[in-house]
Amino acid sequence: MQKRKRKQPWTTNRNTRIMPIEPPKRYRDLPSPTAAHDSGISRRSFLRASAGLAASVAGIAAALTPLRDLDEFPSVEEFLQKHYKELGKEEMDEVLDRISGEVERQYGIRPHLRDLKPMNGVEFVYALNLTRCIGCRKCVHACVAENNQSRSPEIQYIRVLKMPNGTLDVERSQHDYAPATVPEKGFYYMPVQCHQCKNPPCVKVCPVKATWQEADGITVIDYNWCIGCRYCEAACPYWARRFNFAKPSIPKEKINPNMSYLGNRPRPKGVVEKCHFCIQRTRAGKYPACLEVCPTGSRKFGNILDPDSEVSYILKNKRVFVLKEEVGTSPRFFYYFDI
Amino acid sequence: MSADSKTSLVLVSLSVAFVALAALFQSELFGKPKLPAEVPLASAVVTNTGTIRFSANDLIKAEGDVSGMDCYACHEEGKEIKLPIDENGVVVLPKEHADLIFGRRNCAACHDESEAVEIKWDDDGNVILPEFHKDLVIRHGRNNRNNGCFNCHVNDKLNELQTRNGERLKLTESTRLCASCHGPTYSDWEAGIHGRTSGYWNRELGEVSRKECTSCHDPHAPIFPSLKPAPKPHALHAKAEAEATVDDEQEH
Repeated sequence: MQKRKRKQPWTTNRNTRIMPIEPPKRYRDLPSPTAAHDSGISRRSFLRASAGLAASVAGIAAALTPLRDLDEFPSVEEFLQKHYKELGKEEMDEVLDRISGEVERQYGIRPHLRDLKPMNGVEFVYALNLTRCIGCRKCVHACVAENNQSRSPEIQYIRVLKMPNGTLDVERSQHDYAPATVPEKGFYYMPVQCHQCKNPPCVKVCPVKATWQEADGITVIDYNWCIGCRYCEAACPYWARRFNFAKPSIPKEKINPNMSYLGNRPRPKGVVEKCHFCIQRTRAGKYPACLEVCPTGSRKFGNILDPDSEVSYILKNKRVFVLKEEVGTSPRFFYYFDI
Repeated sequence: MSADSKTSLVLVSLSVAFVALAALFQSELFGKPKLPAEVPLASAVVTNTGTIRFSANDLIKAEGDVSGMDCYACHEEGKEIKLPIDENGVVVLPKEHADLIFGRRNCAACHDESEAVEIKWDDDGNVILPEFHKDLVIRHGRNNRNNGCFNCHVNDKLNELQTRNGERLKLTESTRLCASCHGPTYSDWEAGIHGRTSGYWNRELGEVSRKECTSCHDPHAPIFPSLKPAPKPHALHAKAEAEATVDDEQEH
């Protein structure tokens, strides 16, 4: 009979042995952590550590230098504000009240700030008569005045292109023409602004859903949600979006106090903006500002779902086309001829 | 070189580089980026929603002072007028009617109140029109074919109008007179497509205001006049803006 082995403390019940683990050889010769206390910090390691520390502090300081120019920090409420679509009625009222206060502090005028919603059974369409447009650019400046755009640096939503007769090539157009009088012989003029596409590329590329299409066809931007990545600006085939590189400057006396949250309230630096069919006017039933100022009556606007509207008449009776049809954006902005 | 001294060398050179960069940024030795020049504000004229002329039609409807339009201050009522016609068959416009077009232009549609307008006279005391206003001539129809006064005015009743089929119209009904020849344009106007519209697209919320033909077209020279364009866009970058300004100066 085999002698019964005495049970060792390191064996398990299943009789598997666990070997005590020895540390790898390369660590064996190192002094124990307590050894440093005995010898003190060497001069060399101290200098090295201080140089490293100084370098990192200087590097951080250099990297943060642009912050010196940062003068406005968002308030806590602004920082924690929810996305437009998640705001309830009361929350929206608070937001409007807060923004009105900010505008009043900055421009010395209490704005009539509203959050107008799309009307039922309304889809906006714009039509522009290329036969009548004379390229006087009044629409551009009426838009700037209505929508509180930055005057310097200049932000304009409408760009009037001067095109040689017989062409439809924006590459050959000119936007900085300045003759004594317009129209010039041999040219026609084509104002371009946001086309409020049915299939908007700008909305698809937004990484934070700060821009979207509303029920009445207007593509809007929540300026409090925009992170300023400018993807939408790059995606737009009509060059309709503008970026606030600097803090917008608007003279106090030029502020238009009739404001809308998704429309013409003053924008902060670092967000994208664009034409919104004068949402503060059109959702209250009025015509947009560019249409009102046009001396030739080339601009027509209305509800395409109303068969008696002006735009319905144009689409039924005139030779209508859209710009860059081939890119598949299906714009709500139509150009037409009438001679 | 030992690993230790290599590390120190790299660390020291990195620190020197970062400290130098920080000092440069702090002292703005590179200078701040050049900002574009302040863009001048556009004149209020460019946002003026007024029409480019004041029509007699608008004046009468607004119950304005129409004493200047009294034909019978000079002409005898009921007497036919013989039109002076030159050898080319074109009506010679009497001097008294020379301001027919100019007098009705809405200067404020283009000129700012603060803008000084210099007026020059010739030796006979007549105002020399700048190149800009040379389009102000009697010209209804591009080929001088409709310059007879009495195609539209009634010969022996000067403050009335007549269509080609003899229908008599008041001065305030001029739109129907225009319609008697320009049918397609009139139907566009009726549909709200031709001409200016302002007010409310939504007729339930407010009224829409329309202009009549003569608010924009001069009946004596109906082609829409040339206008001074509003300022062109300014470049966002200082360099591009400076180049554009130089180009402009060379052009003029």
